[in-house]
Amino acid sequence: MSLGVQLESAEGSDVELLHAVARGDEAALARLYDGYRVILFGLLVRILNSREEAEDILQDVFIQVWRRAKDFDETRGRPFTWLVTLARSRAIDRLRQLGARQRLATGAAQEQTEAVSDALTDTIRVAERETVRQALAELPEEQRNTLVLAYFDGLTQSEIAAKLNAPLGTIKTRMRSGMIKLRALLGSQLENFG
Amino acid sequence: MTHENYKELLAAKALSALDAGEARALDTHLESCVDCQAEVIKSEDAAALLAFAAGPLEPPAYVRERILVSIRAEGAQKSASGRVTDADSQREGNVLAFERQPRNVWASLGSFGAIAAALVLVALMIGLVLLWQKNQVLQNELARVNEGMNQVQIELARQRAMGELLTSPDAHMAKLTGTNVAPGAHAMLAYDRTGHAMLMAKGLPSAPEGMAYQLWYIKDNKKMPGKVFTPDASGNGTLEDQIPAGAREAAVFAITLEPKAGVQVPTGSIYLVSSS
Repeated sequence: MSLGVQLESAEGSDVELLHAVARGDEAALARLYDGYRVILFGLLVRILNSREEAEDILQDVFIQVWRRAKDFDETRGRPFTWLVTLARSRAIDRLRQLGARQRLATGAAQEQTEAVSDALTDTIRVAERETVRQALAELPEEQRNTLVLAYFDGLTQSEIAAKLNAPLGTIKTRMRSGMIKLRALLGSQLENFG
Repeated sequence: MTHENYKELLAAKALSALDAGEARALDTHLESCVDCQAEVIKSEDAAALLAFAAGPLEPPAYVRERILVSIRAEGAQKSASGRVTDADSQREGNVLAFERQPRNVWASLGSFGAIAAALVLVALMIGLVLLWQKNQVLQNELARVNEGMNQVQIELARQRAMGELLTSPDAHMAKLTGTNVAPGAHAMLAYDRTGHAMLMAKGLPSAPEGMAYQLWYIKDNKKMPGKVFTPDASGNGTLEDQIPAGAREAAVFAITLEPKAGVQVPTGSIYLVSSS
């Protein structure tokens, strides 16, 4: 079975799970948690630079999923995107509350130390991760850093321009070009999610 | 702003990197632009994949349990508030339990440790209270013993002083007998040529509250006040005083019941009196 077919199948089943959660199916929420806890917790720790904060947000995210699953519309996005966007949005909000953006911004382009259990090495997520890392690595460094500062540190284009002491127009161009190239590099996967 | 201008903002929108003003303007445009809606969804899908660039991490098992507890508490609250709908009722039959994660033994040990520590703390506090109470009892007992010893020492000192006074070569003795208000009372007053005097009285009635017995030195019908004393429960009392110079020779000694502070002129009945 190809990676694309596997992902498509996973997405389809996640849509069903979200519908089940919307109907109050606790087991469906448990299965969503089991499927996404590792990727979301890794993302939250990367953004917040704190396991304790990340645990709180991860809990909050799935409570929100329980409450808001009925709002999910598969015609407007994938379950994965919906979950990641929800988690990232909550984490950025918390980051801003903590006022820790400047501190964390210094480590924006640094790689997060990998800490994953052996049980995950045979999962589909590892292949996805390698694909995304490879795509990021192929971006020009200025474009990659701009995307990383926005995505993991929650900085706006103006804040990135100030931080890098670069013209705002330059940052906008780098961000737009970087996203266009990223979409092209990840295109096959995105098409599979259709 | 043109459609093309808005399209240039879509990448930043997907990364939540727009400034507030641009974000509001784009949101308004998106409400009516199907083309931009489709584009932003694709950009958001691509942006979401960046989550894989962060290292995957296994969260603690208790996060799952917390979520389970929270959503069940919400369900219980909803039921308690009487807002359970038909749909909610149907859901209940569909609810399956979370798969149990292996219990965190160390967390359990931590809980037991906390309970044990709390019990030890309570036991220590009870022990401290008991020790404190016992210490208080012993302190009170010691205070009583010390008080008794002080009284004994004072009595011994008086008796020693009385003995010295009586054995001095120039000692004088005067015997006081009870009057009709205290027929069973009697006393002995010893004094030397310096006027140093000691009185030992027995059989006196208890002095009423606020009253005490006062010694008087009487010569040529002149009444000179001495000190006051209060007898014990047995009617025994002692007094050490200094006799005024003019009253040491051929004086009469008397004891009256007076206010406790003493008076300059006798006002009460005579209880004891020496012969002239």
